Amino acid sequence: MTMDEYANLDSLMHRWDARCKLIGLTTLIFGFATVNSWQWLLLMLAISFSLYMLSKLPLSFLIRRLRYPSLFVLGLVVVLPFVSGQTIIWQMGPLAVRQEGCLAMLLITGRFVAIMTLCLVMFSTNSMLTTVKALQWGGMSPVMVDMILLSYRYLFELEKQLKTMATALRLRGFKSHQINQRNLSIFVALAGTLFVRSYEQSEQVYKAMRLRGYQANGRAVSTESLSRDLPSLVLMILCMIVGVIFMGVAVW
Amino acid sequence: MHISEGLLPAKVCIGGYAIASLITWYELRRIEQQPNPTAGIPKAALLTAAFFVASSIRIPIPPASVHLVLNGMLGAVLAEYAFPAILVGLLFQAVMFGHGGITTLGVNAIIMGVPAILAARLFQLRHFAAKYIGIRKADSLFAFLAGGGGLGMTMVMFFAITIMGITADIDAGAEQAAILALLISHIPLIIIEGIFTVLLVKFLSRVKPEMLKINGPSRVGNAHSTR
Repeated sequence: MTMDEYANLDSLMHRWDARCKLIGLTTLIFGFATVNSWQWLLLMLAISFSLYMLSKLPLSFLIRRLRYPSLFVLGLVVVLPFVSGQTIIWQMGPLAVRQEGCLAMLLITGRFVAIMTLCLVMFSTNSMLTTVKALQWGGMSPVMVDMILLSYRYLFELEKQLKTMATALRLRGFKSHQINQRNLSIFVALAGTLFVRSYEQSEQVYKAMRLRGYQANGRAVSTESLSRDLPSLVLMILCMIVGVIFMGVAVW
Repeated sequence: MHISEGLLPAKVCIGGYAIASLITWYELRRIEQQPNPTAGIPKAALLTAAFFVASSIRIPIPPASVHLVLNGMLGAVLAEYAFPAILVGLLFQAVMFGHGGITTLGVNAIIMGVPAILAARLFQLRHFAAKYIGIRKADSLFAFLAGGGGLGMTMVMFFAITIMGITADIDAGAEQAAILALLISHIPLIIIEGIFTVLLVKFLSRVKPEMLKINGPSRVGNAHSTR
């Protein structure tokens, strides 16, 4: 569970300025989201996979990230061929497969894979801090920036605490195979302890932040280390043009 | 309860972002109007992380298991920080696990965040009810309504947006029937979330009552600023 796993690789996507990447890929992602014709699916997937290959991120990483959410999407779209549309292409008794439903299923699955792939390129080729710097440069409120950074900082620590508590429970013979009043009370104590610990820890964190000069309405992180260069701008403009073309095609 | 990438038309995603931005702006304005706006940020951030981690706890409901959503509880504890906290949590879930998505972030924030805000308001009503039915009963009743109601509202919005947004070729009657059927089938989850919230409120009242005791919209920030 980390966003910085492959942030230190060396590729064109990694060297791409975070701000330009955010603007360029966001436009492209929204361009892909507007695609409502299956004829554009292949082009959309080709662009996504090309950018992914350029990022030098491992293919196993993409498969690992797509696997679990794909089950949710498949669970939703698998019924579409049977309930959506009028044109029946195959029928057996009351069960009819409809053309419009099949196309909708293809379209949704294609959009999902293409957008997810681009999101991985956007967020996995930078460290979390660099992405947050780009978001702050883009006008994100300092309150939101602080919340993102602090939550991210303590997420792993709290996850570790939960795992330790769960292990301690198992070692004491707790088996969570069924739901009853006793088990539910144990789950409540587990979650409650986590909230109480985080609440108490936040008081110490705030005191430490105050001592280091933390104050209201300041810039949460410095954006000075971000450097814009010509290739980054060109790549951003290219992505924006492609994104706008996809949007234009959908409207037309 | 996350709408994945690619499921919704772009105009719904953009509309979701517009509404979510408006709500975030309003909530941030409320935070900035506090005497010390940054005072509550560490608490909100750490509790956001705690809720994010706690939602990974699996409650066994044979033959499967479910994850808790806890958006009603989050609203009750974080008040005006709840919507930004949900936005942050959803961003992490989208980026780290692929649950939800970047294009659907606005819609998902509305689905989870608006019920959290309403659940927070509902939970505050326990002080009025306490005069008539006693503090303990009022706490339990309104914790159940906030927890179960928060998830119930989320489910109604989730099923309605997903089924109506997924494709225009489905018959309207079939859509309504599907939403109703899915909602009815999820009633046990709403009840479990409600019961879990009641037990959690009882636990916090016993162990760390100040997490629930401070009233009014500025609870998180005031907890620090009164020190």
